[in-house]
Amino acid sequence: MIEKEMIEEILHNLKEINAKLDKIIQNGNTASLNEKVHSSDSLDVMMLLSLPDHLRTTATTLFEIGPATAEDIAEVTRKERAVESNYLNQLVRMEHVEKYREGRKVYFHINSKLC
Amino acid sequence: MAFTIAVHSAKGGTGKTSIAVNLAIAYALDGRKVCLLDMDLRGPSLRTFFDNGSSGVSFWVNDLLSGRKGINEVVMDTGAGLGMAGKVSVAYSKADISEIRELASKDRKWQSNALKNIIAGKKELIRSGTEVIILDTGPGVEYESINAVAASDLVLIVHSSTKACSECTEQLVNGVYKSLNKKCAIVDNMHHCSLDEDTLDGMRYGFPVIAAIPCICDIAKRSGEIFVLSDREHEFSRAICDIKDKLESIL
Repeated sequence: MIEKEMIEEILHNLKEINAKLDKIIQNGNTASLNEKVHSSDSLDVMMLLSLPDHLRTTATTLFEIGPATAEDIAEVTRKERAVESNYLNQLVRMEHVEKYREGRKVYFHINSKLC
Repeated sequence: MAFTIAVHSAKGGTGKTSIAVNLAIAYALDGRKVCLLDMDLRGPSLRTFFDNGSSGVSFWVNDLLSGRKGINEVVMDTGAGLGMAGKVSVAYSKADISEIRELASKDRKWQSNALKNIIAGKKELIRSGTEVIILDTGPGVEYESINAVAASDLVLIVHSSTKACSECTEQLVNGVYKSLNKKCAIVDNMHHCSLDEDTLDGMRYGFPVIAAIPCICDIAKRSGEIFVLSDREHEFSRAICDIKDKLESIL
């Protein structure tokens, strides 16, 4: 009897967890949708000013030096290459920046489709 | 080392163009190769200082920003025969109302490209030996002005003795200059002593106040005159040379 109650409680908890996960997934989708809508604007100087500090520094550097690898950006910003790579990929997801491969190197540049 | 200075202010009528022109000439008198660009596209006034350069202008800063022309096509040498050890080239913006009206209709994509074109132009100037680039901007947060600020190494903030100017400058400092991580220096132009209490240890908004130029009617009366050329011992000329030296130490 106790076992049955425990199983029912576990099932109930699992259903609650499922419902919460559904909500999180749904919110996540909305967030990425917002990101897309947000990114449909051009990366102009006013958009630069509205970016969070870490992304603004990366984007401003990319504006200044032109097409560059994460390592090139890191040399200017004096952050770790991996950190800059992460920021650049965030900017790519926001569609402010595009990336392309040349040999073994990955280059980033301000999205020309928006300009 | 080559560098780019944006001369900017929160409000109009602070004397940006006078300071930008005189500073450019002061650097040229020192033997530097200087380029002065009129980035005040909505109220251009650079040409009033260079009458000899106003005729025969083929291309404008407007053409550079639009990507129609490269920097070398829009700048023109000026100041020949003025006895300067260095050189000054100037690019004017077009004071034609239809051009200014058209500018107001430009979208964000155009402004984004304009920023790229300014930065590309700046690099090209430096490649061809220009040591000092001075961007004379329009006041406030117009796109062209903020693009110029973004493209500069240092912002020379020209501040006038009004409460309105102080309030607007504070907004710009926090919302633009610091956000873009710019080095800045402040010039109190048309300065009144009553404002001294705003300055703490020569600093304001966290930036050095490098000059306080008093309100001198002589400057207004002789508008269009380049004081560092015509009157080198004038108080204004001496202040400009002092600014030039102090900027070097900040850069």
